[in-house]
Amino acid sequence: MKKVFVVYATDNVGTAVLEPICTGDHVSCNGERSDLEVIAQADIAYGHKIALMDIAAGDTVLKYGLSIGSALCDIKAGDHVHTHNVESNRGRGDLA
Amino acid sequence: MSEFLGYIRPNGDVGIRNHVLILSGTVYANGVVERVADTIHGAVPITHANGRCQVAPDLRVTRRFLAGTAMNPNVGAVVIIDHFREEGMTAEDLADDIAPTGKPIATVNIRGDGGFISAIEKATRYAQDFTRRISLESREAAPLSKILFGTECGTSDTTSGLASNPANGLAGELLIAQGGRMLMAECTEWMGCENWLTEKAASPAIADAIVAGVQHMEARALASGEDIRGSQPTGDNMAGGLTTIEEKSMGAVKKIGDSPIIEYLEIAEAPTKTEPGNYVMYGPGMGAESISSMAAAGCQVLTFCTGGGHTSNHPIMPTIKVTGNRGSFELMRDTVDVDVSGVFYDEITLAEAGQIVFDEVARVCNGYLTKSEALRDNNSFAIHRVGPSV
Repeated sequence: MKKVFVVYATDNVGTAVLEPICTGDHVSCNGERSDLEVIAQADIAYGHKIALMDIAAGDTVLKYGLSIGSALCDIKAGDHVHTHNVESNRGRGDLA
Repeated sequence: MSEFLGYIRPNGDVGIRNHVLILSGTVYANGVVERVADTIHGAVPITHANGRCQVAPDLRVTRRFLAGTAMNPNVGAVVIIDHFREEGMTAEDLADDIAPTGKPIATVNIRGDGGFISAIEKATRYAQDFTRRISLESREAAPLSKILFGTECGTSDTTSGLASNPANGLAGELLIAQGGRMLMAECTEWMGCENWLTEKAASPAIADAIVAGVQHMEARALASGEDIRGSQPTGDNMAGGLTTIEEKSMGAVKKIGDSPIIEYLEIAEAPTKTEPGNYVMYGPGMGAESISSMAAAGCQVLTFCTGGGHTSNHPIMPTIKVTGNRGSFELMRDTVDVDVSGVFYDEITLAEAGQIVFDEVARVCNGYLTKSEALRDNNSFAIHRVGPSV
């Protein structure tokens, strides 16, 4: 069992700051969500994020209990969460 | 209240270093400045690309950076070298700004003093006199409340917001409890966390200024014709796992703790208040400009939190690098001072990490050299531009 770090109880992503994670690894959570377990659907490099639950396209990605952006596509629990499937909502001029 | 041993200045400021500064007034004096500093024991050169053909608002910011750096309590004496004359920022103008500190100041004008070789001779004699004069000064006990503690983060990764930055915020709270002040800049990296900051603002005017500062920086980025996503987060941030500016910001603002925000400052502006607490300053996320603005505001010491490891070091403000990434500490151990990655492996608590950072800051205030100081890798003096060269 590998572990990721979850900052806030409402977060839908965890961070691989204890060890890198490989596809198929069973992953549990340190910090605020010790109840959660997911199976990694991708390799997660050190420092990168894993989805702790399904996140639908357009939904808010939450870390520190706050929005870090919106899902660009449907993200499944265990997926790698990064610039390929999340976009910023700030500093871009095309959003209110 | 705890004390440290520092250099007590005529105006009551207390330095943690005692440098002779050789300050270039303009890009065309840089060569003379470097020759003089090479010759003189302990002299620190400040060179830059500015001082010519700047629009007035931009030149005023440059003047604040240069004068503020010389006014910093870590500087014991200043030799200013100018090439000829820039309206609005002559060596004499800079000397007038610095004079209220009471520290020894000399000015040299390359043209007025007979050219390159004569200017080097004259400035070297001033610097020799100053460096011997200040060598007679010794450290005396002063309260920690005299410390303005700057904080920065750079080459951040996801460990920054989880370990080094919150440990640093706790270290700041320990200093504030001793009556000190902590300063955070980089308002680009408040984007998405405005409410977290405004809740700490000591007045509605400060809260409004925080929101306006972020909006101004956002608009400034957009005015370039491309949005901020091309440059924030940076490539190394994203390699480290940070996905968006919002995520980067949430980690970044944890560099300060929960104490009230006492004052909002414009870039490179010294605080006007002395109350203990947090202070925030308008400025870019660009590290060298940001830490130079904090040195110009009077910070004697700075912690630089870094996930990927860093070399950044200001020439006169000891720059303590702190990381929460064990791999980065191993790779960058030549210039990274403190490793707090133990919080991820249940070796230390976050509170213990905060105490470790605070203890390192206190040691450096007492004279302990940072790794980068020992290497004289003074790479991070840079001036923020607010207008075009014309």
